[in-house]
Parts: sequence; C-alpha cells; structure tokens
Amino acid sequence: MSVNLSCDFSDRQLDSSQSTSQRQLAITVSVDADASFSSTSLNLCLVLDHSGSMGGQPLDTVKKAAREIIDQMNYTDYISVVGFDHKAKVVVANQTLTNPEAVKDNIQSLRASGGTSIDEGIKLALQELSKAKQNTISQAFVLTDGENEHGDNQRCLQFSQLAAEYGMTLHTLGFGDSWNQDVLEKIADAGGGAMAYIENPDRATSEFQRLLRRAKSVGLINAHLILKLAPNVRLAELKPIAQVMPDTIELEPERNADTYTVRLGDLMVGNDRTIIVNLYINHNSAHIIPTTSPNSIQAVTAQIRYDDPQSKLEGLLSPAVTADLILIKDFKPQINPQVQPSILALAKYRQTQLAETKLKEGDRTGAVTMLQSAAKTALQMGDRQAATVLQASATTLQSGTDLSEAERKQTRMVSKTVLQIPTQTPTQTPSQTPQPPTK
Amino acid sequence: MIICPNCSHQNPDGATYCDSCYTPLPVITTVNCPSCGSPVQSDASFCGSCGFNLKSATQSIKNMPEETDHPSTLEEIVPTPESPDSIPDLPNEIEFEPELIESAPAENNPHTQLQQVGAFLIHVQTNIKLELPTNLQVIHIGKPNNMIPPDIDVSGFPDSDIVSRVHADIRFEGNAFYFEDTGSSNGTYMNNSVLPAGNRHKLRSGDRISLGKGDRVSFIFQMS
Repeated sequence: MSVNLSCDFSDRQLDSSQSTSQRQLAITVSVDADASFSSTSLNLCLVLDHSGSMGGQPLDTVKKAAREIIDQMNYTDYISVVGFDHKAKVVVANQTLTNPEAVKDNIQSLRASGGTSIDEGIKLALQELSKAKQNTISQAFVLTDGENEHGDNQRCLQFSQLAAEYGMTLHTLGFGDSWNQDVLEKIADAGGGAMAYIENPDRATSEFQRLLRRAKSVGLINAHLILKLAPNVRLAELKPIAQVMPDTIELEPERNADTYTVRLGDLMVGNDRTIIVNLYINHNSAHIIPTTSPNSIQAVTAQIRYDDPQSKLEGLLSPAVTADLILIKDFKPQINPQVQPSILALAKYRQTQLAETKLKEGDRTGAVTMLQSAAKTALQMGDRQAATVLQASATTLQSGTDLSEAERKQTRMVSKTVLQIPTQTPTQTPSQTPQPPTK
Repeated sequence: MIICPNCSHQNPDGATYCDSCYTPLPVITTVNCPSCGSPVQSDASFCGSCGFNLKSATQSIKNMPEETDHPSTLEEIVPTPESPDSIPDLPNEIEFEPELIESAPAENNPHTQLQQVGAFLIHVQTNIKLELPTNLQVIHIGKPNNMIPPDIDVSGFPDSDIVSRVHADIRFEGNAFYFEDTGSSNGTYMNNSVLPAGNRHKLRSGDRISLGKGDRVSFIFQMS
C-alpha cells in the first residue's frame, strides 16, 4: 500500500509585473491498495446515548442499526459498546467478534433514561479502544440526540484531540433535531472523522452503514501532511489550510521554522482527501531555481507521514512532491479547472459559516446575503442540493422567521459536504420567494 | 488592502480570492489621472481630485478654454465669458457694458456681455455647460413642479430621477455664490462630502456639486 500525492496550483503562472500574488494549492492524497489490503482488523466502539429522550422508537432504531453493523463485521474485528446518559458504562467490553449474538444481546439490554454527558461516553470509548489499538484501525461512532447538559463540551474536544493523537478516529452522529451541531462538528473535526445527521429514525441504519463503509475503507492511519515553503512564500494570515474533500474541515498547522505539519488522520482507499492551502508569493525575493525553465519558482514541497497497521510500520514517509510557479511577462489569468471545484467547496463552507456568525450577532440581513452567496457558490460547483437548502434558509430568514432546528442542521450538513443521499425538504416551505433587497 | 465586497474582510495586496470567504476579488490597479496626475483606481470613471472624465477620449477641458487662459478670480469683477454653448431654459441675458472689463482673449466673438459676475455649472456626466442666470438673486435647481419652478431644470439629464423637484438653490450675495440644499430627498454632496440641508456653502471655482448619492448628477462650479 502506498500513498500518492498530487499538487496543483490554482494558476501556475505569475504576473511578473506584480510584486505579490495570491495562489491556492490543491493537494490530493490518495492510497493505492493491493490485494492484501483487507487483512487489517477493524477496532470499532459504538458510543450510544440512551438518555430519557431516546426512549421508544429512537433507541429501538439505534439498537437495530447497531445490530446490523455487527452483522457486517468480521470475526477478526474488535467490537466494544459504551452506553451513556449522565454517566457512562461499558455495555460490551472490547473483544473480537467470536460471539456476535452475545454482543447483540448486550446492546439490546440498553434502556432509555437519564441525562446526557457525551464526554463521559467518549472517555470510556477511548479506554475500550486502547485495549486493541495495536495494528488495528480504531474507530468510534458517537451518537447523541441532545445537548451535553450534564457534560462539558471542552472536555469532549480534548478527548477527541487525544483520540486523534493515539491514531484513533471519532465520528459523530446527531439523532433528531435537538443536538448541538457546533459541538458535534468540532468533535468530529478534532477526531478526524465525519459528522452524520440522522434526521428521522428510519435513517439510522443507512447512516451507520455509511460510516461503517468509510471505516472499512481505511488503509493507512495517523497521516500528517508536511509542507515546506520556499523563503518567499508564506501562508495567508486567516485560516490558510483547510480540507475540502470528502468533508470541509478547517485545519490548524503546527509550525517548525519553514515546515508546517497538519494532521489528516485516516487515508481511505477510493476516498481521497483534498486540502487547499492559501499562499502569498513575493516575486521580488524569489529564489529562481535555474531549472529547465529559467523563470520557475519552486514554491512548496509536500509530503505525507503515516502509519501502516497492516505492515505494522509507523512514521512512514511518502515521496516528496514539489509544486512550482512560472513568472510570465504577458500574464493572463488561467484558472486550473481541476482546482476550481475545491476552491468553490471551501467558499461554500466559509460563506455559510459567516452567515451563521452574523445570525448569532443579530445581523439578519447580513446572514441572508451570505447564505445567498453560498447558494450561488453551490450552484457554480454543481451542488444543486446544497444550493436549494441554502437558498431556502436564506428565504426563510428574510421573511422574518427563524430557522428551525432541522433547517439549521441541514444547512450545516450541506455546507460541509456534498451529500449523496437526498434529504427531506424542510417542513416549512415558503409559498413565494421574495426578491432579495438590492443594496 | 483589498476589501472583500461580500464579507468586508481586509485582504493583503495581490489577493484574487478573499482569504475569509473565497469570493473572487475585483482586480483593481492604480493608474495616474492624465489631467492632474493623482492616483485613481483603474475602474474609476472620473478622477476624484480634478473631475477629469477618465472614460472619454477627448478631454472635457477642451470645451472650457477660458479656465486655462484665466486664473480663477473669485472676489474681483471678472472679465466677460464667451457665449455659452447650450443653455436650457435660461431667461434673457441682459447686456451691459461694465467699466471694469479686462480685455479677454476670448476665441469666440464676445457679443454677449453679461453683468459683472458670470458663473456656470458644468454638468459632469454630459459635459454640458450651464450658465447661471445673472439677473436672478436666487437660482432654483430641480425639476418641474407646482411650488417652486426650477430655474435650472435637470430633468433632461440622465439619472435625474435622483434629483428632487425642489432640490437646491444658488444665490448671489455680495459678489459670491452660495449653494444650499433646500430639503432634497436624496441629499447633496459638496466635493464628495455631505452638505446638510440648510447649510449654505460659499462656492469656489472647481467645486463639485453632486445631487443625490453616487455621483450620478454632478456639476462643477466655475466662475469666469
């Protein structure tokens, strides 16, 4: 199994008459799998909220979805289940799946009552996962339906970051409408995993299955992107590095002189990660490397460091890839069409986030404008579903109504990723679309 | 600093996408005004410093030879101006032979000798020169209406919808011209800053008067 890196600039040419230029670098990381890929065991922990609000159909569907997950796993995989309300307890201790029926019975014994402390659940999950973390692919699915009333959100984040440092991945599933999308998104981002939205109980199974497929496709773990910048190249001030595929995640680089390191987490077969780096290039102090073309600037060198659980090796390095730029006299902008969709995906996320910030500050008109521009961006990248949801949210806000909890979660989900499964249209359908006010 | 039109984030020079929201940024370079040399943005229509029409091939200055020949004298009695190019709706000019006329090297035949002080407004967007009728103490600027009919009727100019029917007046007192917004809906800007209604502004040559926001109906005042 090997790692492939490709680097593409948004526009490979630089205008020699300007002194600084801004460029985006799209880095795509993919895994080449060979036949023996599937031999690594999965180490899965299901962390399930069984607070009082989950009583009845919600908990039943979750139990059913969990049972179906068990059926899809191999007997060499490890399974553990943690149940939490305002406290957490181990329902199924970490074990290989030699007796799936006993595991399913234990899951069935969960009863709904009590409050919600997500961090207690995550803490126990990390303990259980650690028991089998050698040479496995460790993943946790954390499901909750409500706010972290009895818990501490900061602690959740810390546990999630800890999990990532141990090479484990945390995914979050929000059940229903009452959970906090900011908290669950942050936990998933810190834990290197995905966020899923179970809008209504009959979606539970499909969302669990989707995450399981993702977990099973992991080939390499604990991946880090290492960037080395030329002296005349610098990262943009504001949030310069972000992942855009498969989900949009803001990444925080660690700096060591001219080298920046960013954690990526799992590398999945058939599900490449694309990262956008926002750079500023200073033409004047460029070190022109006398290569084949005399005006080319070697701007960035990228490499991946990763662990391979299959071969039991850690700290492996991919070959380094260099991205360069060319200074041109008669410059005309030429946007690389392969990089454009990635920039649009990031724009869609950022614009939606700005809209949410403005809404929190009370600037309703500003939020409407940003949502509308996010909808336009979504259309430009061909994501019609996102465009519909974003525009509908903008219209609802404009008419003076607040967004429902379901609408807010849908808005967050479409901004973060390109959904494959069509979601339900929001319950409030605007009868007429008013024209946006002209500024 | 390039300010994002979408989220107002301040981006460093050289940015093509906003660092915050990745909206494509307009590419603006700075050039020099061919008339006065001050820096203007490449997408500007008029120079902010001298009013030069950056979009036109022929300079608007060519239509006003008097300015380049004479220094603008404010308080003194000024020499006669040439006959105006086109004046809409002005009343009869009263011809005088004032004693203190300098011999003006006017290119056109100075048959029309007006009263001591002559002044005009140059409509910036069309380069039309409007002579201020000197027989009137107060000159009303606006559009046709029943209350105070305008002496200078701007309804024929482009974008005149932004101008109120009773918009402003210019009065001549003690050898000076004063401009006042008489309660317009969209306001008046004097040299790009707001002129509140009721505030009388003493006009000087080169003053830029903008009726309404956005510099859509603008005049340059000139004494001759």
